[in-house]
Amino acid sequence: MQAIIDNNGVKRYLVTIQVNGDNYTRVVKANTLLVNFLREELDLTGTKKGCELGDCGSCTVLMDGKPVNSCIVLAVEADGREITTVEGLAQSEKLDKIQESFIENAAVQCGYCTPGMIMSAKALLTKNPHPTEEEIREAIAGNLCRCTGYVNIVKAILAAAGE
Amino acid sequence: MFLPDFEYYMPASVQEACALLAEKGPTAKILSGGTDLLNKMKHGLVAPEVLISLKQLDQLTSIAYVPDKGVVIGARATHNDICNSLLLQEKYLSLCEAAHHMANNQIRNVGTIGGNIVNAVPSADLPPILMALGASITLVGRQGERVMALEDFFVGPGKTRIAQDEIVAEIVIPDQPLTGSTYIKFGLRRSGALAVVGVAVAVTMEGNVCKDARIALGAVGPVPMRAPKAEAMIIGKTVNEELLEEVGVCASTECKPISDIRGSEEYRRDMVRVFTKRALRKAIDEGHV
Amino acid sequence: MSDKYSVIGKSVPKMDGRVKVTGQAKYTGDLKFPNMLVGKILTSPHAHARIISIDTSEAEKLPGVKAVITHKDVPSLKYGISPARWDENIFCIDKVRFVGDKVAAIAAVDEETVYKALKLIKVEYEVLPAVFDPEEAIKEGAPQIHDEYPRNINTEIHQNFGDVEKAFAEAHHVRTDRFVGNRTYQCPIEPHSAISIWEGGKLTVYSSTQSPHYFQYYIAREFGLKMGDVRVIKTYVGGGFGGKLEPTGLEFCGAVLSKITGRPVKMFYDRHEMFAHNRGRHKQIMEITTGVDKNGKILGVHANFIMDGGAYTSLGIATAYYAGAMLTLTYDFVNYKFDMIRTYTNLPACGAQRGHGAPQPRYAFECHLDNVATDLGIDPIELRKVNARQPNTITPNEFKVNSCELAECISKAKEISGWQQKKGKLGKGRGIGIAVGSFVSGAGYPIYRTNLPHASAIIKVHEDGSAATLYTGATDIGQGSDTVLCQMAAEAMGFRYENMKIVAADTETTPHDFGAYASRQTLMSGSAVKQAGEEVKKQVLELAAEMMEVEVSDLDCRDSAIFVKSDSEITKPFGEVAREFFVRKGPLVGKGVYAPPKLGGKFKGAPVGTSPAYSFAAQISEVQIDEETGEIDVQEVWDVHDCGMVINPSLLHGQVHGALFMGMGESIWEQVLFDDQGKILNPNLGEYRMPTAMDMPKVTSALVESYEPAGPWGVKEVGEGATIPTMGCYANAIYDAMGIRVNSLPLTYEKVWRALKEKREKEKVSVGV
Repeated sequence: MQAIIDNNGVKRYLVTIQVNGDNYTRVVKANTLLVNFLREELDLTGTKKGCELGDCGSCTVLMDGKPVNSCIVLAVEADGREITTVEGLAQSEKLDKIQESFIENAAVQCGYCTPGMIMSAKALLTKNPHPTEEEIREAIAGNLCRCTGYVNIVKAILAAAGE
Repeated sequence: MFLPDFEYYMPASVQEACALLAEKGPTAKILSGGTDLLNKMKHGLVAPEVLISLKQLDQLTSIAYVPDKGVVIGARATHNDICNSLLLQEKYLSLCEAAHHMANNQIRNVGTIGGNIVNAVPSADLPPILMALGASITLVGRQGERVMALEDFFVGPGKTRIAQDEIVAEIVIPDQPLTGSTYIKFGLRRSGALAVVGVAVAVTMEGNVCKDARIALGAVGPVPMRAPKAEAMIIGKTVNEELLEEVGVCASTECKPISDIRGSEEYRRDMVRVFTKRALRKAIDEGHV
Repeated sequence: MSDKYSVIGKSVPKMDGRVKVTGQAKYTGDLKFPNMLVGKILTSPHAHARIISIDTSEAEKLPGVKAVITHKDVPSLKYGISPARWDENIFCIDKVRFVGDKVAAIAAVDEETVYKALKLIKVEYEVLPAVFDPEEAIKEGAPQIHDEYPRNINTEIHQNFGDVEKAFAEAHHVRTDRFVGNRTYQCPIEPHSAISIWEGGKLTVYSSTQSPHYFQYYIAREFGLKMGDVRVIKTYVGGGFGGKLEPTGLEFCGAVLSKITGRPVKMFYDRHEMFAHNRGRHKQIMEITTGVDKNGKILGVHANFIMDGGAYTSLGIATAYYAGAMLTLTYDFVNYKFDMIRTYTNLPACGAQRGHGAPQPRYAFECHLDNVATDLGIDPIELRKVNARQPNTITPNEFKVNSCELAECISKAKEISGWQQKKGKLGKGRGIGIAVGSFVSGAGYPIYRTNLPHASAIIKVHEDGSAATLYTGATDIGQGSDTVLCQMAAEAMGFRYENMKIVAADTETTPHDFGAYASRQTLMSGSAVKQAGEEVKKQVLELAAEMMEVEVSDLDCRDSAIFVKSDSEITKPFGEVAREFFVRKGPLVGKGVYAPPKLGGKFKGAPVGTSPAYSFAAQISEVQIDEETGEIDVQEVWDVHDCGMVINPSLLHGQVHGALFMGMGESIWEQVLFDDQGKILNPNLGEYRMPTAMDMPKVTSALVESYEPAGPWGVKEVGEGATIPTMGCYANAIYDAMGIRVNSLPLTYEKVWRALKEKREKEKVSVGV
């Protein structure tokens, strides 16, 4: 990985991260977190910060298809990887079936946990298209929601799986 | 929250990593999954000036069976790699189940077995089951390789025998004639909870007689620990409910829990009694390793 | 046209569903403005200390730092959301009162610089003795937290209705129980955030707020600005639950930093800073005494409480009154005595959290009544039926209850849970328990004394009639008020919901509304919206009558189609008439306003608890207890609600699920813990345990038919009602399962284990083992 040192001796690294299918080459500091890279560098604010410690899951993105907490991944570690955020789910106008199902099943209240929740659901249904309710609950156990009690969220994911 | 500044290196080989560790000294830390380390840095508990990332060391991610050695798990295998490994599901399902209990799915996709062990949090989920399975840990440094039993690796909370220039290379679980093993994690909610008590057991049964047993306890002492007196109580005996209760009581006297925000010493001790009993019953009845 | 209503009563999709599932919705922390700085607050590491000196020189020198402020740079006017107790400063001047109290603030070019600069501010403290327990705080010799409040008594209440002593003397059975609640925190997933921007003398604040109006009012007051020169805008809010009802240091410091630097300043709390800021639930220590006749009919109740208010008042005065006020709602008794002391302690300040003061007393009362039922040998459901409030009655503290279907809720809960088949028959370690609750549908009086109406609304129909925009100050914080109010607007106008637009919660463009708290918006904001919609419809029908040459009394409108009542084949599109209206007369606008009637008695504190309407609920839970570990496995919960007319069933049940979930968290897991220096031990979402998706039981949310005359189309609240019975419900189910009482919250596994252990030991002793 190429590094650049500025006049104050601050070292920065050249990274290329694929996000939602497009490659982005940027210069970042070693301590830049992936969540901030996405939100600040790329203006993709769909991914949220709720705790910055990996406890709440609102920063969940897919890294090479696997859900991770972007608040505890360094941007330099994500160099060369493929990231999918909530903004990358819809195909132009057409929403992903999970997104549609969340709307139809009233699984969105304040919406702050929603992007992370949908990414966890997306990863699950990609790997396991017909999960049991228990498997769904396990898949989203790392996504905390304070509004819904998870009832309609589980319902929405089950419905999306059923299609 | 924010991370302090640090220099970042991506060595292309294990030797290069060790050389960097030696060169940079105690201010350098290994970045494996980073789920523990980065949070500690955000809290200001550690402030390494150098992070040495293992991300180029693909050979450390493998999980394979090596004849005459056993199952070899690379230090960079994530918890979900372990859960999903068909080899481990076949040979050591209890290890997969233990890995599955850890934190949440997102963390399990990033947190590694090497990191979990080196961080040496007393309530970590992998050490007890690995100890019950008789695992050894391989460390690689400038001087070469050394192997030790995993239970000898831990010194205190957050402290292990790893040298400054060493990294964890692999965990080896030797072939052994076990008939059953399990790990029970008792946490305060069903996900995202540190163990209040963790009990791992591995048994070799012949009918109703226990030929061999290992009991390892987590979260009830400064390090994950074996319960040798409880083991001695069951080895060679015919197993029944009364014996299991006695073994549980014995294990509860051997552990050294403290009182903290998750539970009092008294409660943890009694939970060791309960879960040692239950883990043995489960390992014996389910009959899978 | 077989449905009575065209829009309300239907589970239409949310107005903001799509933007939220795509990540397009911008919450305050997502917003960026040109030239924007980032600001954060330096807080006190001590629970109680005098500030000797503050040296900001090193911080000011750090490249990228644009402003550093302390108390000398801001107004010293004390503020607070409760006008009777303005006891907070933007920055502490002489001393700090809890770990997390505000000392200084910095604005810098980016986050990293701000965090680094905060570490460079040097503050010298003289540490003072601190007090962390309410019962200790009122003792002689305890450290004084605020000079003006001796013995650290923030609020003292003594209310007396009827004659409780006489009632106890005449009672067949009198019993006293003591319960201790827990200090919990709302924990919205979205952290607080505020962006302040000045244009000349006008301040605009984007904030994660539940009430742009209260924020506008108190910010204007603090800085001596005209309200018209303060604009508060809510974009999207990721949950509030009562914790975002008052302006915080982020708004006050942000305004000053922005003024000094001439640049927009974004401020936010990290998760642990949210815990320190708090304004969450008060821990209450509750002693309840009840006298009953031999049938279990309550003759009198004495509630004697003390609550830990933390270092400042916040909304705590109201909380203190609500704690006692709400106990009279569910059961019909005449003699009631309520004594309460709210104390200061050197801990984060407590305020209003979902249910506002009522959940813990309800836990206490419901457990206490189950004890009474056991004493008398009466089934807990029968006891409640004997005492359940009836419609059109008045409580001893003068709350007028119109609709009340509590008895029906209890019966239905009993039926759908299978209570009869289960009670006493579930087997070892399993139990079933019930609790009831009630809550206000909006507070009868606003937070500060004013004669402003509580809600107002404007509807503007688009010039070509193809859309209509509802302008409302009502604040959607996730509960769905935007959606529900658009449904109401559409229904009142006879317009299609799909063509509704909404502009909400912007003090410059939307008409006054007090915002989202006390579950007020469906009833109160909805009343104003209904009126506005009806005014639009009236103007449309009048013109349509002219255009169609029929009597206006023969016209009606539904789904954007005007039709002749006597011959519904004759129709005219709403849009066509609306367009013609604009051409002839200009903007087609409807206005609505709502103020509740004068409610309540004349005694001290009478306003608190008044409401135009009250919701009622019964909750039953089935639990399984692991006898060896004390682990509580809630198998299933049934909630039956009387919330009047339901505007959007999906959203309503969603609110019940969520409120129950919060009640469940507070029942079993949630507690903010402190060390002996007043520092929070678990200010994070790993150790402050909210239930995860794997911890939730099966939930059935059911309703009973109900119509509330004081609410538009008969509506009442639901957002807070389902939090209230949960703690008592679980505790009663545990008692049924194991015969043990856990008299403090949360009902942890270890507490159950300990109670079981003590029970076994007592049994051994009594058997003489």
